[in-house]
Amino acid sequence: MTARLDAIGDDLERAARADRRHSARRRRRIAGGAISLAILLPGAAIAASLLTEEDVARSLPQGTKFLVGTTPTCTEEQPGVQYRCTISGAFESEIDGSLEGTVEPTVDDTKHVNGGCRSLRADGRDWRCYIGQAAVEQKIIGPDFLGEYAPSPGVG
Amino acid sequence: VRSDAALLAAARTDPGAFRELYDRYADRVLGYHQRRCRDEDAAHELTAETFAQVWLVRARFRDECEGSAGPWLFGIARNVLLVSVRRRALEARARERLGMLVTPPAVSPQEDWLDGLDDDEVPEAVRLRVIDELEYDEVAAALGTTPGAARVRVHRGLAALRKERDR
Repeated sequence: MTARLDAIGDDLERAARADRRHSARRRRRIAGGAISLAILLPGAAIAASLLTEEDVARSLPQGTKFLVGTTPTCTEEQPGVQYRCTISGAFESEIDGSLEGTVEPTVDDTKHVNGGCRSLRADGRDWRCYIGQAAVEQKIIGPDFLGEYAPSPGVG
Repeated sequence: VRSDAALLAAARTDPGAFRELYDRYADRVLGYHQRRCRDEDAAHELTAETFAQVWLVRARFRDECEGSAGPWLFGIARNVLLVSVRRRALEARARERLGMLVTPPAVSPQEDWLDGLDDDEVPEAVRLRVIDELEYDEVAAALGTTPGAARVRVHRGLAALRKERDR
């Protein structure tokens, strides 16, 4: 490896460490906010008051590039935690073959990862979505990805 | 030796693992960009941007190639190149997001940087496989095709080169 490439590696590693520290601080702030809310509101009401079915529906194309332009419809299965979303209208996935079992992150209106969905059908028109920690428990997203800034819908 | 997939899993919390992955692939990714843009400064900038994106989307990696992150990584490199040419400016958004100092060279991305990416990739396929010693799935990712098609293109390219030599 050349000295120049090595220097780029040093810069990247430094930036990655700073980004990691910043993410950890933000997660602590989010957790602190959630605890404060939990004290003020009864548990079940918190999730329901924070997220509507429309919020979840918007989160799908905001997290996944090939769903941009679609308008999913979501129905609540478990308030604030689990939703069933269907997609009508045309879209074209970058994934070859069946979409059944494919997982994609969801992103809220502030451009932060808020959960994830799993496709229930090969054509990718029926999804089950999980919000917050439930998406981590479902192994759709990693714990570090939850709450990450995601300025544009992702690919792959 | 940890697999690429293991490094990316560790990199979710450990920037050191990310650095290990960088050290493993930086030369090959730089070579990929050098062949495309034929400008040293631009190639280094594109390489830095490629890995900045790798860091930002590392949690999205799915191990679909028996532990190798090559196809995924070259897919990101290819995308960085495409976006740069489309925007007529070297892509730098990932580095900016990470607060890195970006000093783009005077060179402006040209359409011909994409030559051979979408059609007639035979020479490129041979270069990737024979000179860079990439695995077929890595060649496929770099060319935006399937490993099977990449294998065919390499074989055809080699056959054409042999024919040319024997003429």
